[in-house]
Amino acid sequence: MEFKEYYKALGVEPTANGDEIKKAYRKLARKYHPDVSKEAGASARMAEVNEAYAVLSDPEKRAAFDKLAQRRAAGQDFQPPPGWDAGFDFSDAGSPVGDDGDFSEFFNALFGRAARARHGGGARAQMRGSDQHAKISINLADAYHGATRSLALREARLDESGNVVTAERVLDVQIPKGVKEGQSIRLRGQGSPGLNGGHAGDLYLQVEFEPDARSRIEGRDVTQTVPIAPWEAALGASIEVPTPAGRVEVKVPPGSNNGRKLRLKGRGIPGNPPGDLYLELELALPSANTEKARELYQTMAREFSSFNPREQMGAQR
Amino acid sequence: MTQHRVDAVLIDEETLDLHELASACAVPPTWVVERVEAGLLSCNSSGGEMRFASAHLVRARRMVTTERRFDANQELAALVADLLEEVEQLRRQVQTTAKGARG
Repeated sequence: MEFKEYYKALGVEPTANGDEIKKAYRKLARKYHPDVSKEAGASARMAEVNEAYAVLSDPEKRAAFDKLAQRRAAGQDFQPPPGWDAGFDFSDAGSPVGDDGDFSEFFNALFGRAARARHGGGARAQMRGSDQHAKISINLADAYHGATRSLALREARLDESGNVVTAERVLDVQIPKGVKEGQSIRLRGQGSPGLNGGHAGDLYLQVEFEPDARSRIEGRDVTQTVPIAPWEAALGASIEVPTPAGRVEVKVPPGSNNGRKLRLKGRGIPGNPPGDLYLELELALPSANTEKARELYQTMAREFSSFNPREQMGAQR
Repeated sequence: MTQHRVDAVLIDEETLDLHELASACAVPPTWVVERVEAGLLSCNSSGGEMRFASAHLVRARRMVTTERRFDANQELAALVADLLEEVEQLRRQVQTTAKGARG
């Protein structure tokens, strides 16, 4: 596993005192706050910073980490040597900044729940695993029809000899239809494993929608832009529109302008009640790239000579 | 590697009780009750029992994070959560307006 350079993660010297560590942590916690930061990879960086602070802000963990860092041979794949933690006691309630479910393999092997269980002490009692949180991206079609997404999770647990091992498991998550932006999905028993026969925690997934150039989503209402020809807008037409709910036949009323919205009740994201689907008309102009097309545009220019599209702007022509 | 197929439950269709919310935020239930009673965190009431939906879960987690990371008191953490909710709403509006302008 990869050795984590916790002092570097916080940007402090190994000689930094507790106040310096706290100050550095808070500065980075503001900088990489996932809800406000515009930095690339802010969430991952925040997780690193949290992990580093969870170790360096705890005197016992910091001392054990320092001892380990001194004995480490640079450039080698890291495995904690037997008895590295002798004399230290990490049997506390875990991290000061959140649950340790989001932390690295390195942290979990050294200081995570499984490691605390290895320490013994009060760890024989049953303990429920902690709940974990993650985000999941879906597209609009998934919200209409439901979907399956594969999630790869790494978890630390104790093997039969009491050593911490990490294993990867893949969850095929059945996402129900009707899910909304920001909504949470709960997967019972898929969080951190329990200890000594305790139940596993739950996994919560917060739903985010992938950006969609043609659609806007508000709650369960969906607005989708639909290109139409100028004659369809002017004269009215019956058009076929592929929507996330399937293909629909829609009547465009005569005299429709660019931006007009047509409401299809109950065709938004499914639910109780379902949302509505709004089709926003977007005029698409044929190119004047043939002699015939140019002639037609020239005829229009002559026939509509009194039409001034910029009249409301005060332009004369 | 092991592979499992799991069914997901949408929070809101099935809300969380007090203990489930507390567990999801890694706090004791008293932390939740104090903030509900102080009006900093809302909940749905069902037969006198507190029930929590997705939005409550997100807000509670933001408050916990702010309190822990910055040693903030609960009122300040609630104010930060208010501001983050406002930012989120404004971002959505900006996105909608920008797409509308392009269309």
